[in-house]
Amino acid sequence: MTAADLSFSSPDLRAHLAHLTEEDLDRLDFGVIGFDADTTVRQYNRTESDAAGLTPARVLGQPLFTNVAPCMNNFMVAQRFEDAIDDASSLDDTIDYVLTLRMRPVKVKLRLLADPGNAMRYVLVQRRP
Amino acid sequence: MNHDPNAQLAAEHEALIQFLYLAPVGLVQTAIDGEIQMINPISAQLLMPLVPDGDLANLFEALQDVAPELRQLVGVFGRPSGMVCDGLHIHLAPSGARARRTPQVLSLTLLKLDGERLMAVLSDVTEQVRRERQLRQNDAWLNALLTSITDYALVGLDQQGRVSAWNETIGRVTGHSDAVVGSPYSVFYPEGATTAEQVHDRLVEADQNGWHLDEGPRLRVDGSQFWASAIISPLPDRDPLLDDPDSPAYCMVLRDISDKREAIERRRHAVYNDHLTGVANRRAFFEAAELELTRNRRRPRPTALILLDADHFKRINDRHGHPGGDAVLRQLGQLLLSTFRQVDVVARVGGEEFAVLLPSCGLDDALAVAERLRALVARQALGFDGAHIEYTISAGVAAVDGESLNLEALMKRADQALYAAKAGGRNRVQRWAPGLDAAASGEITEARNADR
Repeated sequence: MTAADLSFSSPDLRAHLAHLTEEDLDRLDFGVIGFDADTTVRQYNRTESDAAGLTPARVLGQPLFTNVAPCMNNFMVAQRFEDAIDDASSLDDTIDYVLTLRMRPVKVKLRLLADPGNAMRYVLVQRRP
Repeated sequence: MNHDPNAQLAAEHEALIQFLYLAPVGLVQTAIDGEIQMINPISAQLLMPLVPDGDLANLFEALQDVAPELRQLVGVFGRPSGMVCDGLHIHLAPSGARARRTPQVLSLTLLKLDGERLMAVLSDVTEQVRRERQLRQNDAWLNALLTSITDYALVGLDQQGRVSAWNETIGRVTGHSDAVVGSPYSVFYPEGATTAEQVHDRLVEADQNGWHLDEGPRLRVDGSQFWASAIISPLPDRDPLLDDPDSPAYCMVLRDISDKREAIERRRHAVYNDHLTGVANRRAFFEAAELELTRNRRRPRPTALILLDADHFKRINDRHGHPGGDAVLRQLGQLLLSTFRQVDVVARVGGEEFAVLLPSCGLDDALAVAERLRALVARQALGFDGAHIEYTISAGVAAVDGESLNLEALMKRADQALYAAKAGGRNRVQRWAPGLDAAASGEITEARNADR
């Protein structure tokens, strides 16, 4: 499956994301934030960067839930990832949310992806009407 | 050095955006009706858990269950601009299993910028509130000690809280003669203002904290009432083995503060009472409920909870406007206050939802009172603006008796029972039963929205 075929709701998305290059990630039509076991942001694609108005340089290497996306630092998002680690379980859940991109309320769907076997976890972002 | 003005502007813009992204408080700008225009991440962090369907579009709607008075506060604010509320404490639902990152108290400051715009600052003050509560108790103790005492009664109480001896001060403040010796100190409380269990609770708290302080109405022997401040303190140097069970174990100082009552009440009212109906507000309810359940865990006794609301409230608002709906809520508040005991905690906990906590009351008794209230509401129409508004209520009743249940779980049961009452046709009272569980939970929000 090439990057061109991947969409926000593709099944097995986590596995595919792991193999994409930065260029591939930038071509996706949904936002991708990849962060490691310490919540440090390791991947931040162009779609998300454009939407938020932040260059990757300001974001990569920062803790996600305190310095990059504090709006997600509650039981609805951040705690889901913590619970997945505590239970050593997989997480693949899509929720309706509102992000404050450029300080405007933006309705989105967030897809939360985590897998006990892999350090890289993802929050994917797609706008909804 | 980059002299390109666009690049410079872009860099400044990005720095500003990140500055706002990282602000550790919630900032929201809204239209005068609460429609959100600009909003920062911490606001979403705090508000998203409150909105039912993942849609955060209006600040007042997002807060309508936990701060129903906001629209009215803005509506009655007379000046063209200024502070509508400053550091208003908003109590969220009690946390259960999700305790870890769940705020319990938010602070809201609302500024009217002009006729079209409001600005809100929102922050999580849960920890602060906990610390302040501790400090306030210490302050109250100090205040009681240092304020000049012109008239007080010094009452020795035995191990069970019974008056152990008479002296002139008791006669002067309460009018009682030495016939009061042997009566529990609840003899000084008006009918229905305390329970046998609470008499014991205060002694235990005095033992644990070094003192117990409360304020409220007291009764003289001639039946007249006065406003009192009462401190109960354990007497030091007691040897439980040597002690005569009738000798004083506690000292109670009872002060008549009727002259200070108005000032104290005004202050308390502003913080603990719902502005529209006059009953207790969410904050008062949660504080009282947590205290009662803590006492319950220490020494089990039946404790009941009733959750109720007005049926088809949205229809009342549509037909008679918000003033009509407000009149209904006010009348309902009055009926509640006249139906329940003084010791019961009657509170408005949502837009049109009320809660009543009944200490030392079992499920059957609570059910009976709730039914009495339901019938009273059903036969009393409200005269409003030339019209007759008839309405009914639905109520859910749950109770703990000996089992260890936290507030969230008890409220959930009462909520499930309330939902069953709605589903069963409204204008009825439903008791909680184990079967009401899983199927009901998911549909509760739907039933509520149907009422709106």
